[in-house]
Amino acid sequence: MLSCQDVATRASALIDGELGTWQTLQMRLHLAMCKGCHRFIGQMQTTRDLTESLPAADAQDEDNEDRISAILSQLYEEKPDSG
Amino acid sequence: MPTAGAKEAALVQRLAAGDRAAFEQVYHRHNTSLVRVATGVVRNRATAEEVAQETWVAVLKSISGFEGRSSLASWIFSILINKARSRAKREGRIVSFDGAGEDDNLAAAFDGRGRWKNMPELWETLTPERILAGRSVMAHVNAAIEALPPGQRSVIILRAQQGLDADDVCAILGISEGNMRVLLHRARLAVRTALDGLM
Ligand SMILES: [Zn+2]
Repeated sequence: MLSCQDVATRASALIDGELGTWQTLQMRLHLAMCKGCHRFIGQMQTTRDLTESLPAADAQDEDNEDRISAILSQLYEEKPDSG
Repeated sequence: MPTAGAKEAALVQRLAAGDRAAFEQVYHRHNTSLVRVATGVVRNRATAEEVAQETWVAVLKSISGFEGRSSLASWIFSILINKARSRAKREGRIVSFDGAGEDDNLAAAFDGRGRWKNMPELWETLTPERILAGRSVMAHVNAAIEALPPGQRSVIILRAQQGLDADDVCAILGISEGNMRVLLHRARLAVRTALDGLM
C-alpha cells in the first residue's frame, strides 16, 4: 500500500503517463480512498497545465527591435565581406 | 500542408539567406526563454541578456552549418548553455544541472508514516476563467520559476515552455532522463507551493 508521500513523489510520473500498469493501478487505488492525495494530484495537474500554457514569447517589447538590429549589425561588422 | 520538419528547413534556409523577418520570428519565439535559462546560470539578468545576444550572433554566423540533427530550438539552446557555462566558469563557478544536493519542498508536509499533516486544499478558485482574467496568476508562476535552481529552471523552461523533446533537453543539459524527470517534478512542486500560497 502506497503512503501519501509515495503518491506525492510519483505525482508527475502519473500525470505524465509514465507509470506502468501495476503502479498506475496502485496509485488509482490510493487516490480512490484518499481525499488529500486526490486533491494534490489535481493541484499538480493544474500546475503542469499552467506552466505549459505560459507564453514563451514576450509581449512585443519595444527594445526588441533595437536588440535585433544590434545583433544584425554585429554580424555584418564581423563579416564585412558576407551578404 | 508542410510537415513541421519541412517548415523548419524552410525557416533555416531563410535565416541562412539573411532574411530579417525570419530572424524576428525565431527571436520572438525563443529570446525570453534564452534569457531566463541563462539567468539561472550566470545569476545576473544583464549578463544573461549579453549571453543571449552572443548566442544569436553565433546562431546566425553558423546557421549554414546547421544540419537538422536536432530541432533548431535545441541547437540554439545548446549554444546558449555553452556560452552561459563558460561565462560562469570565467567567474570561477562550475554550473551543473543535475540538481545534486537539492531537495523537494514537500518532505515537511508528511508525518512519520508518510501521511499528510494538513489536507491539501481543493483549488476551486483556480478556474480557467480566473486564470485567463488575472495575469497575476501567471506572474506568480513566472516568479516561482525565476526562483528555481538552474537545473529545475532550465528543465521546466525547455520542456514545458519551449516544448523541446525530452532527449534534446537531456543532451543540452548533460543529464539523464531519470534525472530530468526528477527535476521537472521538483520544479512543478515549487510552482505548486507558490500557487497554493495564493489560495
Ligand atoms: Zn494519500
